[in-house]
Amino acid sequence: MTRLTFRALLLASTLSCAAFGAQAETLRVAMGYDPVSLDPIATSDNGSIWTQLLIFDTLVRPDASGEKLEPGLAESWTVSDDGLTISFALRDAKFSDGTPVTAEDVKFSIERAASKESSWGRFYRPITSFDIPDPHHIVMHLAQPFTPAFNNLALFAAAILPKAQVEAKGAAFFDAPVGSGPFVLRQWTRGASIELTKNPYYWQKGKPAVDEAVLEVVTEPSARVIKLEAGEVDVALDPPLNQLKELKAKPGITTGEVIPYRADFVQLNTRYAPLGNEKVRQALNYAIDKSALIKGVLYGEGKPAASAMPVMAYADPDLKPYPYDPAKAKALLAEAGYPDGFEAEMLVNSGIATQRNTAIALQAMLAQVGVKLKIQMLENGTQWSTTKAGNYQMSLSYATSDTIDPDQIIGFVAVNPERANAYHTEWKNERLNELYAQERQTVNGPERGAMFREMIQILHDGAPFIYLYHPATAWAEKDYVKGFSVLPTSNFRLEDVTIQK
Amino acid sequence: MIQVILKRLLMLIPVLIGITLIGFMLLQVMPGDPASRAMGTRASPEELAAMRRLWGLDQPLWVQYLYFLRDCVTGSFGVSIFHKVPVIALVAERLPFTLGIVAYSTLIALVVALPFAILAALKRGTAVDGAIRQVFVALIAMPPFWLCYVLILWLALGQGWFPTGGVGQGVVQNIYRLFLPALVVGLSTAALIQQSLRAALIDTLKADYVDTARAKGLTGAQVFLRHVLPNSLISTISIIGVRVSWIIGGTVVVEKIFSVPGLGSLLIDAIVARDLPVIRGLTVFFAILVVIVNLITDICYALADPRVRLE
Repeated sequence: MTRLTFRALLLASTLSCAAFGAQAETLRVAMGYDPVSLDPIATSDNGSIWTQLLIFDTLVRPDASGEKLEPGLAESWTVSDDGLTISFALRDAKFSDGTPVTAEDVKFSIERAASKESSWGRFYRPITSFDIPDPHHIVMHLAQPFTPAFNNLALFAAAILPKAQVEAKGAAFFDAPVGSGPFVLRQWTRGASIELTKNPYYWQKGKPAVDEAVLEVVTEPSARVIKLEAGEVDVALDPPLNQLKELKAKPGITTGEVIPYRADFVQLNTRYAPLGNEKVRQALNYAIDKSALIKGVLYGEGKPAASAMPVMAYADPDLKPYPYDPAKAKALLAEAGYPDGFEAEMLVNSGIATQRNTAIALQAMLAQVGVKLKIQMLENGTQWSTTKAGNYQMSLSYATSDTIDPDQIIGFVAVNPERANAYHTEWKNERLNELYAQERQTVNGPERGAMFREMIQILHDGAPFIYLYHPATAWAEKDYVKGFSVLPTSNFRLEDVTIQK
Repeated sequence: MIQVILKRLLMLIPVLIGITLIGFMLLQVMPGDPASRAMGTRASPEELAAMRRLWGLDQPLWVQYLYFLRDCVTGSFGVSIFHKVPVIALVAERLPFTLGIVAYSTLIALVVALPFAILAALKRGTAVDGAIRQVFVALIAMPPFWLCYVLILWLALGQGWFPTGGVGQGVVQNIYRLFLPALVVGLSTAALIQQSLRAALIDTLKADYVDTARAKGLTGAQVFLRHVLPNSLISTISIIGVRVSWIIGGTVVVEKIFSVPGLGSLLIDAIVARDLPVIRGLTVFFAILVVIVNLITDICYALADPRVRLE
């Protein structure tokens, strides 16, 4: 090396260091999941989905409340009165390589999401054809009215990808993806970290506020908290709930929490003799002290559940959970012909501490009203296949919603026959089935809301489950981090986050 | 010597065929289905079937097995269902960290165990020997996850000397960043080595040839370094061999707490997700590594003790 080039190198490296030090502001987030793939149609794990939503955009997206949609890549839209056409006007957005986002890209992405290779195809197959009047407009046609179709476009699987690049590169595209979201992937070290830099072409001018974001994979919950305390990360997702109080008291650290779209409950197989009786099922609901459960098992971080539906759009704020009333539970059991209670076996996922603890508490509470619970610990997959086959009496479980529209989850937990025969309880209510069929063809609005409220009331009264709680999701952050929050959809956005040291 | 090594490598083939068969069969009886893991509990039977078809899981078992053998022979070890990447690529990303922990922890173990084993053997029966034994027995008894957190709270969070976890770029940075995890693994190896090496040294010190060497007029140090130590190292070598095979896949707890992307956590994650090709591929890969480690162990025996012949 000549002296001159050496000096040039030295100068260059000094300059780049200086530039780096002056401007690059990095937000570091410790998350518990290791993303498996950045292909939106192939994934269902949180790590992958959260990362994809930072890199890609969808046409519409849930707003911060999680109850309605706000514009994403689409500036505006109209749904026809018959519900058969949805028209979108796209905004002037660019992918991170500078090429514009066009209606062709949208068509390609939605068709890809509906394809055979997609894990989420059923969400997009109701859209049967597309019209592209010009590169900034796209019209989607449905063969039959299907209201949830619009909401499904807000799901990560409907992320808009650059057609030309995905076609040219195939699977390799997702190792260095190009999207129109706020961030661009700089480096992905599997099992360790995802490094993102800001997308210079992002359509929200002046955002993101930070230059770089690093998602560190720290699967051990306590280790995430330790990293936050040591100042190695700025945000720690999902800290252990039993450490939250202690964390709140620490100087320089604040915490936040949100109730995501999840409800925990016990499935009751209505084909099993005592559980076929509605009074028995209601009695079991009265026998559970939900606030004690939340205090003891969730360390206070959750809400009691009134039904198997998460707290989401069209939820009825006036519907109250079953109160804790052992005397009433006993009376109902006696009325149903079980004055001395009965015995039942409950399946429990052995791999999750919260589930094990809940099971033990339920056993004690039900014993108070004479119901003897036998706990059967199982591996998750076996628990699922056993309940699916109907070979169970009770099973401690939960349901989460992928979309912000309650259609998906109510079809799953309450409708029979549908996907899961009311989540394998085999409970059936004709009025609810009717409402479900109607709701799917009714445009969004108060009328559709009333249908959901009636369905949820029927589900509450029929009690094919013991309703337990909606567990909270928490995060902890340094107090200089402003504007960070986890959304009810359980992902997080980083474009508005600032660091104010 | 080279012939012997080649012969041993050839012996790998029947071992590996056995491993592939057992690994394949065990996965068939494992409950849980990758399709329902991937698509969630809400997918319909038709959708699940379509996904299984896409992944080739609907093929007859023997066909799946032959595909698996083909993938092993071509060196990809299969393609991950979820990562959509050849298993060998996933292994390649993580192998450096695992091998790093193996080498680093073994070095730490030797540095810690050798002096104390020698000291304990020379001072056997004294208070010094007793004190050393107490400390090393305590090290054996210490659960690794506990030691991890103690070290993190004390040296990382308290003193700020080390990061609390995670890996960095390049060798130098990782020598620093992997110190604590390597120390946890290394200390438990050290405890095993110290106990057996002390016993071996005491035995050797009583041997006739040691007396002969002394009678020839060699100094104490010369006798110890040339005759006693090499003859006592056999047990240490076998312990290290066994430990290394274990560390390659067995340090999941340490990997998780220190956020080190090693092979152990790759395997556990694959099992949780039911990523069958990764589980199978890793099983075979671990088997190859174990056989190689055993071979190296045998070579080390021969080097340490000329009476041992490789056959």
